[in-house]
Amino acid sequence: MTNPKQTTDLLSRRRFLQTAGVAAGATVGALALPRAADAAAAPMPKKWDVTTDVLVVGTGFAGLAAAIEARDAKADVIVIDKMPVPGGNSAINGGDFGAAGTQMQKALGIEDSPELMLKDMMKAGAYLNHPELARTVAEQSAAALEWSQTYVGAQFDRVNFHGGHSVKRAHQTVQRSGAGLVTKQLEKARALGAKIELRTKLVRLVADKDGRIVGAEVRRGYKFPDEASGTPAFIKARKAVVLASGGFSNDVKLRQMYDPRLTDQFTSTNQPGATGEAIMAACMAGAMDLQMDWIQLGPWTSPDEKGFGYVPQFVERVVGYGLMVDPATGKRFFKESGNRKERADAIILLGHPALILADSTNTTKMVDPGQLKGALDNGSLRKFDTIEELAKAYNMPVDVFVEQVKRWNTYVEQKKDPELDCLIFKDAVPNVTPPFYAARLWPRVHHTMGGLAINKDAQVIGFDLKPIVGLYAAGEATGGVHGAVRLGSCAMADCVVFGRIAGKNAAKQAAWG
Amino acid sequence: MLVNAIGRAVPALLALLLGAALSLPASAAPARNAKAAPGDCAACHKAEKVLPAGHPATKGMKLDACAQCHAPKSEQALGGKLPGMHLHQLRGIGCAQCHGDLKKPTEVAHDKCMSCHDTAKLVEKTANVKPKNPHTSPHYGKDADCNLCHHQHAKSENYCNQCHKFEFKVP
Repeated sequence: MTNPKQTTDLLSRRRFLQTAGVAAGATVGALALPRAADAAAAPMPKKWDVTTDVLVVGTGFAGLAAAIEARDAKADVIVIDKMPVPGGNSAINGGDFGAAGTQMQKALGIEDSPELMLKDMMKAGAYLNHPELARTVAEQSAAALEWSQTYVGAQFDRVNFHGGHSVKRAHQTVQRSGAGLVTKQLEKARALGAKIELRTKLVRLVADKDGRIVGAEVRRGYKFPDEASGTPAFIKARKAVVLASGGFSNDVKLRQMYDPRLTDQFTSTNQPGATGEAIMAACMAGAMDLQMDWIQLGPWTSPDEKGFGYVPQFVERVVGYGLMVDPATGKRFFKESGNRKERADAIILLGHPALILADSTNTTKMVDPGQLKGALDNGSLRKFDTIEELAKAYNMPVDVFVEQVKRWNTYVEQKKDPELDCLIFKDAVPNVTPPFYAARLWPRVHHTMGGLAINKDAQVIGFDLKPIVGLYAAGEATGGVHGAVRLGSCAMADCVVFGRIAGKNAAKQAAWG
Repeated sequence: MLVNAIGRAVPALLALLLGAALSLPASAAPARNAKAAPGDCAACHKAEKVLPAGHPATKGMKLDACAQCHAPKSEQALGGKLPGMHLHQLRGIGCAQCHGDLKKPTEVAHDKCMSCHDTAKLVEKTANVKPKNPHTSPHYGKDADCNLCHHQHAKSENYCNQCHKFEFKVP
């Protein structure tokens, strides 16, 4: 392979947009053709510091799934992560893995199928999902879960509900955190001989004259977020680069490019390194991005604790059992079992935090004791001996609120909500037993649905609408799987399914040099 | 050159030996002298007053001697009150023992810390710290890099608090 060049210097769509300020739709076509051929050549690195077959960017679910599969296919693998800790958001997520038609579901008498999961994903995604990508996730979800259990060694012990799904299909790790899977993946990847390099940041991809990705420029010893830190190095990827670098929920500047409403007034549930430079680096190398405007806010975070916190694991467990009200009126205002976007939008429209509550019977049945204790200890969840006391604590009109709770309890008995059509579970009981648990809710930026365009083989698509040779992507760095709204628990499924595909195909790619 | 390579934020060496409230000096970090003997503040800090008035002379002292007044776990304990390198220095652990060849010092990797410190013992030692044991977590197990929290040339930080609200005192 002769005369590779660093693709940063190409006239990329992104740079063009930034300088010319034109609308994307009108200009993409015109920019698609000249991308590699006409660009000024950047010098080939004088030498590659390291050579591997497959370079994976990111140590979350997707990156490590790719690393494990690539190692199993006998490829040499280096995995880099810019942060000083491994796992990215995967290490701090809630540990719910959406999968359809699993043994665990069958054992619980839950009837489910990949078709139903796909239907739920598409409906929530406002049918903007790329159907073949969503279908791939739904169809391979059960196998991906089984691989995570039997091959990787993660343990899952319950099946949860998340808003927007038709049935309970979120298989949760015993740790109640994605760490339960990602730490096992890390162990597995290391045991298989993948080299894991933390604090190594992707700066830009290197492509040859035909636009094939041949490696990357990185900074080793990088100290987030100091962009001048670390030492430059070039990693040669003989077969392929897999981008599994996550989303950009914590990149205020970038997310405001797509959704100007998401100012720094909105905090995020994500780890601090959830910023978008790797996606941008891919775009500069000719990759296409899509649906970047769809940025999800989680409707279940509490303003009374930081980050993701404990409260989401209370809220999502009591949805379909307890009720959510507007404390200003003491009345329900939105379907508790609605999807994330519907609920977050409804709360933001209130203009102040909402309140969710459930009684002792429903709470202790549904909520993990460790999560419950965590939320009570940090004050984000409170408990009250009476409904009246709860009403007063949040300055609600007592009579109206008491009536609302009674009305909700009759719906729970009938298992039907004629007011707002909330899904009510068969085992839900009227909320009458003290103590009553309550938490305030205010949304946080949680997931970026958009990202790099990929096909069902996890190949990244360029602006000529053809796969970029030598570049794969998986997980939150990609777009299209979830459309407008990602359903809870579908991130783990997406990451593991497409991470595995990316790893397998990267290892199969013919080496360039 | 060593000085520039290793770090920039070195507060006054023994400013806190008395156990008075911490006040890192506003002045720039002094040039670092790799040959400074433990307790010899002036070797780096020159004429700068880094000890409170009336503090006993420290020249020639090592950490054990400091501990006679600054008893560990007491109000006067030094941990958390001055950058960790001073504690290492007072134990006789000089620059070279962590950074290697001082003409070309290297960044200290986690494994280097582990060549003296024992993770398992550390986890056990802090088992009863509230609200959580800081040396083991569901997210990163027992293998988190010491330097996430325990900085040697800058004020330590509580890495957990990016998301949590754990009121740890971080030495």
